Amino acid sequence: MRKRVTVGGVINGFLLVLIAAVMLFPYLNVMATAFNDGADAALGGITIYPRVFTLENFKVILKDSKVIRATMISVCSVVVGTLFGLFVQFTAAYAFSKKSFPGKKLITVYLMIPMYISGGLIPSFILYSTLKMLNTFWMYVLPGMFNFYNMIMMRTYIKTIPDSLQEAAKIDGASEFTILWRIILPLSAPILATVSLWLAVGYWNDWTTPLYYIRSTRLQNLQYLLMRVLKESEMMTRMLADAIVSGNLNNLKVTVTPEAVKAAQVVITTIPIILIYPFLQKYFIKGVMIGAIKE
Amino acid sequence: MNDTMKKRRLWRDIKANKLIYILLLPAILTTFVFAYMPMPGIIIAFQDYKPLLGPWKSPFVGLDVFKRIFSSRMIMDSVGNTVYLNVLNLLVTFPAPILLALMLNEVRCSIFKRVIQTVSYLPYFLSWISVVGLVQTILGLYGPVNDLLALFGGSNFERILFLGQQKYFIPTYLILNLWKGTGWGTVIYLAAISGIDMQLYEAATIDGANKLQQIWHITLPAIRQTAILLLIMSIGGLFGSNFELVYALQNPYIDFEVISTAVYKIGLQQGDYPLGTALNLIQGLIGFALVATANFISKKVTDVGLW
Repeated sequence: MRKRVTVGGVINGFLLVLIAAVMLFPYLNVMATAFNDGADAALGGITIYPRVFTLENFKVILKDSKVIRATMISVCSVVVGTLFGLFVQFTAAYAFSKKSFPGKKLITVYLMIPMYISGGLIPSFILYSTLKMLNTFWMYVLPGMFNFYNMIMMRTYIKTIPDSLQEAAKIDGASEFTILWRIILPLSAPILATVSLWLAVGYWNDWTTPLYYIRSTRLQNLQYLLMRVLKESEMMTRMLADAIVSGNLNNLKVTVTPEAVKAAQVVITTIPIILIYPFLQKYFIKGVMIGAIKE
Repeated sequence: MNDTMKKRRLWRDIKANKLIYILLLPAILTTFVFAYMPMPGIIIAFQDYKPLLGPWKSPFVGLDVFKRIFSSRMIMDSVGNTVYLNVLNLLVTFPAPILLALMLNEVRCSIFKRVIQTVSYLPYFLSWISVVGLVQTILGLYGPVNDLLALFGGSNFERILFLGQQKYFIPTYLILNLWKGTGWGTVIYLAAISGIDMQLYEAATIDGANKLQQIWHITLPAIRQTAILLLIMSIGGLFGSNFELVYALQNPYIDFEVISTAVYKIGLQQGDYPLGTALNLIQGLIGFALVATANFISKKVTDVGLW
């Protein structure tokens, strides 16, 4: 195709740049605010770069023991949750990639129903309480372990692995388990990567689990802490007071304000995703494409 | 004779597939515990629930709890709000990805296209609470939006506390949904567009069709199926609600409840388990009816359905 510069094309390109700028601007502005002196930022006029650069806002947060703990909880729930989730999803997906076995349809329906019908918030709460799961780390990981949609995505991918590979291995005397472990699992690496990314993002971004089911402050994760910082003004006052009492704010020329620390907290909570996402974008999209193909 | 043979064959098939069943066990068990076991708990919607007695021994009160739903102003408001917000949201967020996908499709320079795509997908991967964190900064009294308004507003401009006023709640909600979802929403449309035969465009060009005519007569019909399907599916979600965004945007100056925030506040915060459960149940039933209807229509119209 010839490349022609048309008026329409230029306008289109210009609009797209504008849209991208709108998409990106809030993040750049929060970054700039987070790295800017608090009192100076309170004058307004911060755009996409810090006017009076400082790291004090981050120091307030990163020296807070609550934040360190919450980060650890977040990381643990991502790691444990992703591993558990992959295991449950992959084993089921492999089973469903088989052409037929007695009860296949029944089990499919059984696993699918919860996508549309659920007991709801309070019956779940009562169940977790009966199971003594409330206020434990397992709340983050166990309830969401199986996801029908992810499983179907994996199954669709596994089905594309040629049967001849499995048959050849069978002739060589490989057991079903060996085939699964030595052939299917390694060949499923791309879909495992895709699903684990989705799982990891989901666990990292989860803040309703601690809101509903976790009282203990020791088990709250980073997203939940951000929610409290954003919604409870006394939370921020306490963090600032702690920082002053413990002498973490030693640079007296710099001022720290709740707004600036809030911005820093947003940056800390989102930075893993911002850093990782652009490099792994293609895996995310691949998942959607596979999921979009039905049967 | 025939029956026993059938049974024997079934048993043989099951034994032959032993590993399959073992592999399915984790999924079956976790689904049972975390999805099916809470379901019987719905009965507390019909009880005068006493935590000490539990859901099996608490006295039944018939439909009293449901009567309380219909006599509660706050709950009925939350139901109305939910539908109102969802309809507005659908009107705003449904066409946006189609438009953006059409625009992206016209870009010939692939690096430029990729950069725009990467940037516009990004918000989708942030949690709602982070999004609200971002918006608290840019809509702050001395944030960039107020700065911009002050620039044009002259000397007697009064800075606006956007997040502390009821009238800005719905616009903020809609804009944030647009901001977070539009980019990612293009993925599926771009996939549909990429399947279009290029010869159609070449033929149209020879026939003298301009760009807009090509979009109207070739691109749009090609993504119609996808669009209809997505539209029908989102109708199924009209009774659901985005708890995370509404809850995150709520503050003492905003009086706006949707069903899910009402369930949380009544059920878990105030501890009125039966009322919370009953409201949740009504939402679930109507939601399911909508999904089922949407699925039925979808099958009629596009031949594609959820089940």
